[in-house]
Amino acid sequence: MRLTVNGIESEISSPPLTPLLHVLRDELDVTSPKAGCQQGGCGTCTVLVDGEPRRSCLTPVAAVDGASITTLEGVGEPERLSPVQAAFYEKYAAQCGFCTPGMIMAATALIDRKGGPVERDEVLEALGGHYCRCTGYVKIVDAVMAASRGEVGDVQDLPVSEAGEPSVEVHGSPA
Amino acid sequence: MAKHRGRGFATIEYPTGMNQNGDPSQAWIKLKPDGRVDVFSGTVDIGQGSKTVHTQIVADTLGVPYDWVTMDNTNTDSSAVCTGTFASRGTFIGGNAVRLAAERVRERILDIASKELEIDPSDLEIADGEVLAKGSPQKKIGVADVAGAATYNYGELISGSSTALKPFADVDDATGQVEIEPHSAISYAACVADVEVDDETGEVTVLKMVQVYDVGRAINPLLVEGQIEGGAIMGLGLGLLENSYPYYPSVDHRGGEFGAYLGPAFADLPELDNVIIENPSADGPFGAKAIGEMANNAQPPAIANAIHDAVGVWVTEMPATPDRVLAALKAKAEPRRDGKRVIFDEQLSVRTVSSNGGEGYWGVEP
Repeated sequence: MRLTVNGIESEISSPPLTPLLHVLRDELDVTSPKAGCQQGGCGTCTVLVDGEPRRSCLTPVAAVDGASITTLEGVGEPERLSPVQAAFYEKYAAQCGFCTPGMIMAATALIDRKGGPVERDEVLEALGGHYCRCTGYVKIVDAVMAASRGEVGDVQDLPVSEAGEPSVEVHGSPA
Repeated sequence: MAKHRGRGFATIEYPTGMNQNGDPSQAWIKLKPDGRVDVFSGTVDIGQGSKTVHTQIVADTLGVPYDWVTMDNTNTDSSAVCTGTFASRGTFIGGNAVRLAAERVRERILDIASKELEIDPSDLEIADGEVLAKGSPQKKIGVADVAGAATYNYGELISGSSTALKPFADVDDATGQVEIEPHSAISYAACVADVEVDDETGEVTVLKMVQVYDVGRAINPLLVEGQIEGGAIMGLGLGLLENSYPYYPSVDHRGGEFGAYLGPAFADLPELDNVIIENPSADGPFGAKAIGEMANNAQPPAIANAIHDAVGVWVTEMPATPDRVLAALKAKAEPRRDGKRVIFDEQLSVRTVSSNGGEGYWGVEP
């Protein structure tokens, strides 16, 4: 079996009935899809299979042989967030963050499918099977709607994790 | 058979930190030679944003930019002690720990700056990463240069540590007396809930909730709102959906799978309106009190009151599941006591027997 995960093709050696989730996490070391309820109920394992959101915990890897898989790692980078990621950051749509990978994949698929502004009801429908215990959902809905409207700041201006070195001349320094 | 709308509200008060105190949080802060600030504390950020809020507290206390401060709370082996992020104590007690430590660091910065500028420390202030002479801000030295001088000229590490601790309040069981008050601060909150009750199915839908929270000082209003919204939806769950399995804590009767425990989902999301009130605490960092556990306390009683407003029955056990609402409606329609048909009507009874229209009568709910 072969999978293309975030643009990289790999030969899969796991048994065919292994859930896609565990192939991603354990064999390919792609750990953004989370093992939550592992019964299809919480949504945090959601990945895109040929662009469609799927519960990777309930998907045997053999059923998606040859497919193109996109996970959170494939939609943006720390220095260059996708619009949905940037909106989640700006709107404080993630607290503990455990549900966030699935939320962002489902929201990305919704916005790609719609190709334009999505309404509140569409967000509630598309993300309905995703469970969040921290945020109360409000800011997630806000973020997805804002991302679909392009109402996010310049994502390249977002702070990166490593602060640059300050330019100071230290008196008395041996340097 | 119809749907009825009703409105109810509830108010709560909630203590900050552990009851009876005795729960320390520690912090240690040091300056790098370039003026950047390293904070070592034990308070863990579980998504509520304590790392952000503590960074703000340190930056504001020291007078340096936010992005100069690095919060290192990742090593549970070597980190300073924090009793934990629970009991709504993260901002108040953990925040006080970093504030007190930062105040000591600030004193050391001013001491060194005083030597460099030859100005008394009491005549100096720190703003935007620079130590300035009060009243003549052209006389100044950068915090980076102060830290460099401390390191390379004076052979000092500018650092400060502190523990935020209110001692354990021993309660005399006989008298109920305490030597010190058993709380650090009390927060207040209210919730107004609008609901729709289907009298055929017993289903309750929350249409809107307004949350009003006194947090003392909203150090980061966006994060406060995140706590309020998350708590509100959790409160909705406690009011309508979530139930500890029967006979808790016996695990024999708990739900066997994820779906057996109902929590609020996107479909349950009502309209939320949030109001933050700042009623500063004397002891909290920058006047802050708590917003944590308290965020889900007002909603269940507000929802119960709204149900009563809508259909005239009290659901006396949370959550107000459809079967409990239907049982209450049935009890109202067919009142029975010991299997006999008994009708208790407070208004009718009082007016019938009282010579003064019921004045002085203490109403009781059936």
